[in-house]
Amino acid sequence: MASYQADQLKEQGNAAFRNGEYLEAEALYTQAVQKYSRNPLIFTNRANVRIRLMDWNGVVNDCSKSIEITGANAHNHKAWYFLGKHAVAKTLLTSNRQLGLHHPNEALTSALTAYDQVLHPQPTAKISPKDLETFSAFVLKCKKAKFAARDLERLRRQGDLRAELESLLETQRQRDLDEVTTQLGRSQLGNIEASERSHEITTTLDDKITSLRTVFGAADPAKHEAREVPDYVIDMITFEPMHDPVMTKNGHSYERATIYEHLKRSPTDPLTRDPLTIKDLRPNFGLRAACEAFWDSGASEWIADWS
Amino acid sequence: MAGMSGKRLQKELAKIQGVLPPGISLVSAEDLREWQMDLIVPDNPIYPPDEEYRLRFHFSANYPIEAPEVVFMLLSNPERKIPMHPHIYSNGIICLDLLDKQGWSPVHNVESVCISIQSMLASNTKAERPPGDAEFVRSNRSRPRDINFLYHDPTV
Repeated sequence: MASYQADQLKEQGNAAFRNGEYLEAEALYTQAVQKYSRNPLIFTNRANVRIRLMDWNGVVNDCSKSIEITGANAHNHKAWYFLGKHAVAKTLLTSNRQLGLHHPNEALTSALTAYDQVLHPQPTAKISPKDLETFSAFVLKCKKAKFAARDLERLRRQGDLRAELESLLETQRQRDLDEVTTQLGRSQLGNIEASERSHEITTTLDDKITSLRTVFGAADPAKHEAREVPDYVIDMITFEPMHDPVMTKNGHSYERATIYEHLKRSPTDPLTRDPLTIKDLRPNFGLRAACEAFWDSGASEWIADWS
Repeated sequence: MAGMSGKRLQKELAKIQGVLPPGISLVSAEDLREWQMDLIVPDNPIYPPDEEYRLRFHFSANYPIEAPEVVFMLLSNPERKIPMHPHIYSNGIICLDLLDKQGWSPVHNVESVCISIQSMLASNTKAERPPGDAEFVRSNRSRPRDINFLYHDPTV
């Protein structure tokens, strides 16, 4: 009986969420778990709302609770995904540089776990068609964040001036974003204003970093010019670096999620237009290793954009 | 997914601002979803070398998995006509296998589409419209994918 009432409240919470009424949704989910605390989905839904409310500790708590209910090895890709999202956001928000370095690793681990769970779903898992594509893109984002932080730190320790300046700008960004979170917490800002402000801060910072690199690139091209990313690392469809490349019969490789999306619409080889299905694809371990090596070689420096 | 098209279009834009094949130039891409390119056809008396043709590209959120919508534009200032071709309707709609569901592949890009259209024109020998052109232009006004290209009285 209690679990039924909880489900009703959860549905109401979902409706509120869809309407953008995040505080209302959170309150409803909270009532739901008070009625019945063993439904992992209510916790992941509340975690989702808390991401919008930028209540990072709340997100971690809810995801952990959800995973605890289902068991760490059981299928719960949403919880892992939200955990990953939290860790990435925390990287941006935290003003403690050391802490900031550790979180991208957690983010990437969570992202890879979520991706894997969507790729090899348990029979009871609820996967939506867009999940693989979403999670694949998120893995890429976490990779970029992880290696960006790591490479910057390494350069900074070497006394590289550009890296030092970028670090200072990053610290400034984190301070500004923390300020927004604080103001949101004190209800000095509305949800929409807060996310607009955060977006503005991030965009301004990205522009400054781009300008900085341009200037250094012009002054000392040998050392600072953005180098070309090797073609073999790049997916021919999205133009992004690959993390899980798969190969077709004629030897060309694509990012797994991307070629899956393509095959949904047209079961043909993108280059030759021969018939092609998912079953014909093979993982390309050699290329995957090459892509990993690319990331390790200070590659994040060469990829000027990440969002 | 909007994410995929955004990233890909940004990168295409960066590349296209570099070197382009002769006769193809970027006019505008202020709205990442909608680009305009100018095309000149080499070595074909049907298309004078001083006559430029304007292509409008429209990208959905699923580009490049979904083909872009590519049409010729009729403009008065600057002057841009719709080239005469048995596969190009007088409202600018192009019949090209590359652009429809069966023929499109996500490894194509704006540049390759322009090159294909350019060579379709360059190899053409008949300065005519497709059969049933007038009827097609009349009857297709209601199709969702159709956009009104006419910026100027086409009889002038």
